[in-house]
Amino acid sequence: MQALYNDIKQLWRQKIAFRVALCYLAGFTLLAVLLPWLPLRYMPNDINLDKVYAAPCMGGSNSNWFGTDALGRDVFANTLFGARTAILISFPVASFTALLGLVLGTTAGFFGDSGFKTKRVHVIVSVIAAVFLVYLGLYVPIKARVLLPSNTSLIYYSVASLILVFVVLWGLARLLWVRFAWFHKPIALPVDQIILRIIETLTSVPRLIFILVLASFLPPTVPMLAILLALTYWTGIARLARAEMLKIKNLPYFESARSIGVTQSAMVFRHALPNMLGPLLISFTFALASLLTFESTLSFLGIGIPNTLPSWGRTIAGIRHNAAAWWLLAFPGTFLLATVMALQVTNYYILAIIQARKK
Amino acid sequence: MVALLFKRLFHGLVALWLIATLVFLLSRLLPGSSGSENILLANDTFYTGSSSSSRELAYRAYLRRTGLDKPTFYFTIGTSVEPDTLHTIYPEADRLLLQKLAWQFGSWPDVVKFFTAYKALHQNLTQLQEPKLLAHLQSLHRSVDPDVLLPASQRLRKILNGQHGSVELEQATRKLITKQQPYNALLPQIRWHGSQNQYHQWLTEAVQGNLGNSYRDSGAVTGHIGQAISTTWWILLLSMTLTTLLAVELSILFVRKRGAKWRRAILPFLFFTDRIPLFILALLLLILFASPDFLQLFPVYGMGTYIPTGQTWLQNALNMLPFMVLPIICLVLVNLPYVTNQFYSSLADVSEADYIRTAKAKGLSEGKIIRQHMLRNALFPIITLLSDFLPTLVAGVVVIETIFAIPGVGRLLIESVLARDYPVLVGVVLVVALFKVMSHFISDLLYGLADPRIRQIT
Repeated sequence: MQALYNDIKQLWRQKIAFRVALCYLAGFTLLAVLLPWLPLRYMPNDINLDKVYAAPCMGGSNSNWFGTDALGRDVFANTLFGARTAILISFPVASFTALLGLVLGTTAGFFGDSGFKTKRVHVIVSVIAAVFLVYLGLYVPIKARVLLPSNTSLIYYSVASLILVFVVLWGLARLLWVRFAWFHKPIALPVDQIILRIIETLTSVPRLIFILVLASFLPPTVPMLAILLALTYWTGIARLARAEMLKIKNLPYFESARSIGVTQSAMVFRHALPNMLGPLLISFTFALASLLTFESTLSFLGIGIPNTLPSWGRTIAGIRHNAAAWWLLAFPGTFLLATVMALQVTNYYILAIIQARKK
Repeated sequence: MVALLFKRLFHGLVALWLIATLVFLLSRLLPGSSGSENILLANDTFYTGSSSSSRELAYRAYLRRTGLDKPTFYFTIGTSVEPDTLHTIYPEADRLLLQKLAWQFGSWPDVVKFFTAYKALHQNLTQLQEPKLLAHLQSLHRSVDPDVLLPASQRLRKILNGQHGSVELEQATRKLITKQQPYNALLPQIRWHGSQNQYHQWLTEAVQGNLGNSYRDSGAVTGHIGQAISTTWWILLLSMTLTTLLAVELSILFVRKRGAKWRRAILPFLFFTDRIPLFILALLLLILFASPDFLQLFPVYGMGTYIPTGQTWLQNALNMLPFMVLPIICLVLVNLPYVTNQFYSSLADVSEADYIRTAKAKGLSEGKIIRQHMLRNALFPIITLLSDFLPTLVAGVVVIETIFAIPGVGRLLIESVLARDYPVLVGVVLVVALFKVMSHFISDLLYGLADPRIRQIT
């Protein structure tokens, strides 16, 4: 970790492009966070039908710097708020997918098909508990909340009976454990196979198509879209984390850690994870750039994102109705490109130092 | 080798089945996604003014025709207070009221008695044409709180002097409240439906090649998709061939001794185009080369308006060509950087091998070494690469076809998403996934044919 930090510090000193890219990204994030407090002349959804397709103009007291679109909405405000939308969607989603991918990938790589052993009784009891958790913990409370908003006692009873079921199941497990030897037998869960099959299923259709189809089943809201993106984006990072874990598992220092009896958790957290940080950082920035592009593509197509949300894609889509309004494409498009490029440059340099260190 | 090949094919088919099942079940299970609202809205314009009973009949007929009256899956796990025929009740407001009542009071027979009494009174009052009383009655529709229901029904009986079935309604309400078992909703019930369910029906027909009918125009889904593929196919094939050829030639140029200056000139450009979002590139090209405001070199939209019949496929292809130039340029430009990079690094790896040095020592020319000795070995990993890169191409086709208004699979997908035409969506997912499985299988097969070492692996 220290080494990675030092490398980045050295890059910062030596490469101008890296410094520029990082500065741009920092400024971009700052802008997106502070935007609601900035004194802007127009808000992104202010409609002004007197000024439709106004060309960009710098002077004047109430001019639109970047022009206006088909409804007279200010392109400047839309570009800035589009940046905010892009970062507010892609950053949390990228962080969450990195975490989920890391957990699932390292689990698959570390345990393999035979490393994860549990007793029969545990498997049976956890499956039953999971069914009850979904029914009493999710299905009943959600349904009750939707159907009978004033009747909260049903939700309390549901959660209480869930706890009761858990206690009964725990007692049952103890009883079975003591009475029957059959339940003692350990089973190896093929964690690796399970996770690989899930990844293969989720990637069997191109991501854009999968998300478009899923988005048509759901109401277009930002949280829904974030969930959809998170559920489909983790596969790449999980694959990478799994491959890195498999590589590290075969290294001599890891073997010796195992042989001197280091615990499993210490092996993963102290010895494996720090060595995976570099590749993970790269896949994180890569996912971030990909999500930025993806978000604007979806809003350009007008699917999955509410129409009232200002975004680059929404502004750019206006050009399909009036090809002469070049400013609709030029300004948001430039911002999108610059952001993606800055991430790409950062990525490129970090990848270069990691490869250099390997040699 | 053969065993490995079939194992991978089997895994691919399992993934295909899982994804299709997932999408199918989600399309049927998620709230508000049954697609029936669309049909009823469309029918409303024809049947406006028709009585609610005839609309109910139309709804039932629609459910029977589309198979939506059957349960979704082999079994359902739900609360024991709801009957499994709840979704056939029409109109939707009544269905929702029944569901609320069931969850609140937990005893279905009493709920049904209350509801029939309510409906009977409603019918009588409608015949009497007393809007004031009807409004009073409808207040029962708004809340399921026992403290609201009972006083409301008592008031109704007083106003009506116990006529028109208001006594029955009050009794039913009283019974509903006294016999309530409010926490019955917590009890789960598993119902087994056997093979008479939507999923089973859909799966057996899909295996036989019938993907059902579109919600929008009732046409066969396979017909829609087949027509769309015949257009998309050309774009895919041409852009893939062009990308591969260009990438091979560029990487050969880079790996040559004299190619260093080319490499320095072209690689940064490729690095730049690699991250340009496809829709921005496509719009740029569209505005620069196909709009009357700048250069109009190519036709803007579509695939040609009029295609005379009786032409050979070659003439057809020639007709379509001008419309395809810009879309294909977009797809090639966007995919070229990645493919070229892979080809180049693969070639560069091979160029350090011993047998290349031997070939150089024998005095072979550089071009001959590259084309005859390096290329064949460097191309192995590329077979897999190409099958991986097909999905990216298919995703790109969605964007390209929307922007250039080409009637292909991508446009079909977008239109179906906007119209919530689920049978077509499930069909497109199935076809695209099948396409991927097949391309992987073929690439595995080719890999085995090209590399004798692979054939030894079991």
